[in-house]
Amino acid sequence: MSKHLFKRLALIGSALLLAAGLRAQDSGPLIDLLVKKGMLTDQEAEQVRAELVKDFAANSAAGKLNLSSAISEFKISGDLRMRHQIETQAPAVASGPVLVTNERVRERFRFRLNGDVALQKGWTAGFALETGQAADSGNQTFAAANDDYSIYLARAYIGWQPNRNWALVFGKQKNPLYTTDLRWDADINPQGVSEIYKYFLSGKDTFEIRALQDIMEDRTEKTAGPGGRDAWLFEQQAVYTHWFGPSNLNSIVLAPGYAAYNQSGIDAATNENAFNGSTRAQNYLTFGGEVNWANVAGAGSAFKLYWDSSYNLLAGTRAYKVYGVDSTKWSKGAEAWLAGIGYSQGTGKVQGDYSLKLDYRRIGLAAVDPNTSDSDFAFGKLCQQGWKFSSSYNLTDFCNLNLTYFYTTAMQKNLTYTLANIDHSQLLQIDLVAKF
Amino acid sequence: MKKTLLILTALLTAGAAQAQKLVIKGSDTLGAKLVPMLAEEYKAKNPGVSFEIAAEGSTTGIAAIIDGTAQIGMSSRRAKATEMSAAQAKGVNMKPTIVAYDGIAVVVSASNPVSTLTKRQVEQIFAGDITDWSAVGGNPGKISIYTRNTSSGTYSDFKDLAMNKRDYTSSSQKMAGNEQIVAEVAKNPNGIGYCGLAYINEPGMKVVSIEGTLPAKETVLAKKYPYARPTFYYTNGEPTGEAAKFLEFTLSDEGQAIAGKIGFVPVR
Repeated sequence: MSKHLFKRLALIGSALLLAAGLRAQDSGPLIDLLVKKGMLTDQEAEQVRAELVKDFAANSAAGKLNLSSAISEFKISGDLRMRHQIETQAPAVASGPVLVTNERVRERFRFRLNGDVALQKGWTAGFALETGQAADSGNQTFAAANDDYSIYLARAYIGWQPNRNWALVFGKQKNPLYTTDLRWDADINPQGVSEIYKYFLSGKDTFEIRALQDIMEDRTEKTAGPGGRDAWLFEQQAVYTHWFGPSNLNSIVLAPGYAAYNQSGIDAATNENAFNGSTRAQNYLTFGGEVNWANVAGAGSAFKLYWDSSYNLLAGTRAYKVYGVDSTKWSKGAEAWLAGIGYSQGTGKVQGDYSLKLDYRRIGLAAVDPNTSDSDFAFGKLCQQGWKFSSSYNLTDFCNLNLTYFYTTAMQKNLTYTLANIDHSQLLQIDLVAKF
Repeated sequence: MKKTLLILTALLTAGAAQAQKLVIKGSDTLGAKLVPMLAEEYKAKNPGVSFEIAAEGSTTGIAAIIDGTAQIGMSSRRAKATEMSAAQAKGVNMKPTIVAYDGIAVVVSASNPVSTLTKRQVEQIFAGDITDWSAVGGNPGKISIYTRNTSSGTYSDFKDLAMNKRDYTSSSQKMAGNEQIVAEVAKNPNGIGYCGLAYINEPGMKVVSIEGTLPAKETVLAKKYPYARPTFYYTNGEPTGEAAKFLEFTLSDEGQAIAGKIGFVPVR
């Protein structure tokens, strides 16, 4: 190679490296253009290309990855949450005043790592790892003299979206339903099959049918009767979203639904307030929704009104026969409801964004499934009423400071049944969350 | 003593004979016709040289250079970043040399009335979006797609050049080489496949123009044909010894004339 040519190649190579920021793929069109302009021959271009690829392979993380050609996108994300938690629980007593209040302060953390893959032809797959084993919590408490902590598989799914209307997901997945934490703890990843059919109405409006077949327990089929049946939760919803107001920025969501179990049993739930026993007499009518008003106090601000509710059509059987509560003393508690307001500035993704939410809720004894309901409100106990206040402030685009406070009281005083035996409680959580 | 000297001489002679063997592995596009013909001519001029040629796909040629099991790796595609990375980890300096140009011709049965396709139609056919010939102006009939196998450089080049890097439809049938694709397409009135320029004159099939352009020497050199590509010899750094001489022969007027005669487009 002549000295002149070497100098020219070195100059062009250096320029390409700088221009492309070590990304060989990006330099392809530039090299092609140089060839077209006659500044490089094809052979010289190949030498430059090879050098760029070598540099890319040696000096970039992406160059060392060998991903399947079926993958069109591989997203890795996650978060790490540090929590300071102050709890008070006053156990219910059968008679007389409550004299004992249990207090506890815990330093906790949660780590989650998600891998989501977009494959060809509308297929997706993914997984999530997290630090907690219970379905309703990924938390670990700092303890045990610096011992290390386990990692669990929180999600493992395959999805298929054959067209813009249909979406199917198989496996342990993000909750596909429109929910609040009245009936579904936000940490729970249901397992089974879900289907969403989305119908596009005029403008941005949509109407969806969402269905989930959640396998809650695997049982030995050789056992006769309900004990030999796998436990399934079947939940289906209609979700209507309508946009209105100036520039169609305001929205209303209405989500009526129905959920029911087959007659079986749960054996090994480890939730905060788990019920291991029969799944029968859980036929819930549900209705959730929200109204959002955008730009109520300047650009980026939003006000929200939200609600959720649940009514168990078989609450009497659930409370008195399954739970075994005395029907002459205690109400069956068929209804649960929640109503709240919220205000936010920004989307929660930019430094300085913030949000505030306040809701009041009442949860009857047999109105929700304790194996899916929120683990923080009254520590998952049933037959409770009270407030939840939550706020979040973006310290940076990727780091939030959150504060959440719960105050609850028993809806029926002196009820000491295991799933409902708290007289009153408070819970304060102060979180520092880093997302990546 | 005499006996020992005799054995040593025999071993040295055998060693020298071994040194004259040139191992070339890789691309079927290059290795099925062009390189064997070049090797024959080269051997005729250099009687002491023998060749071992294995044409099992470009991936195997690049892997052979990385593993040090061949002196020349034939490839119809560029080495990937992961292959470069693997080579660097083993201290191998992958050096590409363009030895000829090629155009990947889209071929159909001679009885097929379709004679031109757009780039978009080609992508849709091979990705499985279009499944019937009537959708592109042909007679009704389910399209049968023939592609190379995954170790082929043509397989990945075609994905890059013609399919926007999309995956082939699952119904596509993977063939070991250009000749097999051409043979299947010639037999099947509903068949479509692709092959290098060296294979487009087989009976029973015809080449489809893309956006009105047929693959030919002029359209490939002018880069007007959308599926044109260079073909390579990969070596570990600057080739030496017999490999360097064979590369020189390939790029010589005589070597390039052979390339042109077979159907490739010479580099000059």
